[in-house]
Amino acid sequence: MTEAILSVTGLRSGYGRTVICDDISLQVSAGQITCIIGPNGAGKSTLLKTIAGVVPAIDGSIRVAGVQMAGLPAARVAGSGMAYVPQEANVFRALTTHENLAMGGWQDEGRTQAARDRVYDMFPDLKPLARVPAGNLSGGQRQMVAFGMALMLEPQVLLLDEPSAGLSPLMVGEMFETVRRVNAEGVAILMVEQNALQGLKTAHEGIVMAAGRIAMQGAASELLNSADVSELYLGSRI
Amino acid sequence: MNLQIFVNALVNAALIAPPAMAFSLLFGVLKFPNFAIGGYITLGAFAAYTFNVPLGLPLPLATLGAMLFTGFVVWLAHVWVFKPMQDQSAVTLLVVSIALTLILESVVRLFFSADVRGFDIPLERPWKFWGARITREQVEIIACAVVLATGLHVLLRHTRIGRAMRAVADNPMLAAIRGVDAAKITALTTVLCGAIFGLTGVFAGLDLVIEPLVGWNLTIPIFAAAILGGIGSPYGAILGALLLGLAEELTILVLPSTYKIAVGFVIIAIFLLLRPQGLFGTAEIKK
Repeated sequence: MTEAILSVTGLRSGYGRTVICDDISLQVSAGQITCIIGPNGAGKSTLLKTIAGVVPAIDGSIRVAGVQMAGLPAARVAGSGMAYVPQEANVFRALTTHENLAMGGWQDEGRTQAARDRVYDMFPDLKPLARVPAGNLSGGQRQMVAFGMALMLEPQVLLLDEPSAGLSPLMVGEMFETVRRVNAEGVAILMVEQNALQGLKTAHEGIVMAAGRIAMQGAASELLNSADVSELYLGSRI
Repeated sequence: MNLQIFVNALVNAALIAPPAMAFSLLFGVLKFPNFAIGGYITLGAFAAYTFNVPLGLPLPLATLGAMLFTGFVVWLAHVWVFKPMQDQSAVTLLVVSIALTLILESVVRLFFSADVRGFDIPLERPWKFWGARITREQVEIIACAVVLATGLHVLLRHTRIGRAMRAVADNPMLAAIRGVDAAKITALTTVLCGAIFGLTGVFAGLDLVIEPLVGWNLTIPIFAAAILGGIGSPYGAILGALLLGLAEELTILVLPSTYKIAVGFVIIAIFLLLRPQGLFGTAEIKK
């Protein structure tokens, strides 16, 4: 197993007094894709939000490349080597593609120009849309802008909350291809996916969450072949 | 139709456009219609009057002082009044903002009485051209409004802070995720808008009179211009102000001038019924 870039230990979080995620421990290895699956309400999105600092951690530790992040607000977590792409409202609709990317590089303006060129190289389809407000883009294009914005500060790990949600079936395939391409650049990815089959097929590692806890974790291929996982989350595949 | 109508409409628009832009900008970051703007404008007018008449400062310096003072008061109102109540509904905050305007006006009345006042500036004959008349102050108001609108455009479109202001207005959570200190940007926006309301107080004192209701009387036209242009769209507010100014002046041709104030209300009603997103706003589809 390669070195862990993101390490979560004994994490508990929730809203107010309601605990949503409890006793979560997981590791994301450098350069690997880890996919979290589970039923609705399992706490998958809350877990990702907690790691990103959007929902405060009640207890436990979150380390990115060894640096403690638990307890820091989202604005401080940004630029720490970890970038989060929310499921919804993940672009600034009133800002152009170009300006959205600039906001991605907010914490290090000096690198913006070079970083933007790199993002346009990675997503050439975005270049002609540079002056178009993100609110006028299609769902797939907006997802690319959201990815590009998150990649501006060259994170070591990317947190993706249901990247395929709301996309047409054709775009879903392209989106998972994009996830693989971003990963091929050396970025580790921790993603939550409702599309469990595609998510696990794309990932190296898999985590199954249920009722706010980790129910199972292991190699994605093992989970794909697990009778329990197939029956509960992969529908009528077997 | 004579040229005077267009001159008057332009002066009206120049008076309304900057605060309508500020109102829109403030709505963008705070997400509620802040009716305290009437109180802020009155405060700006009386602050400039205090610097100009009792303290004897020249009007440009008094204007600068009033802008700084109003900017500070609006920031203070944000920190002391609106920020602690930020989880309340927009309607609650709207009512609180009306209360704040009444408090500010009462404070002004307490110190200055309800007397009508004016700045210490030399009286000059209006300039005449092609049958229309315009005063030196009105030309200055138009020039200042154009400079201010251009400056705001440059700030919002071409500077890092302006981009962050638009980003926070658009999606404050995402702005925080990308590392923007949304609280700081919001505070900066309130100071900037406060300064614009202060300047409007000076304009109103020059074109109308300085009295405790000066800001309140401008509130409905400002609100109407902002709605007309699409609330939350500072550029729409400029066009909104121009159209409102023209509509008000054209009304005078057919109705007594006392009905002029009703034009704002009628425009608000028509737009809320037929095109609630305004001329420049985007229609939201609720799913």
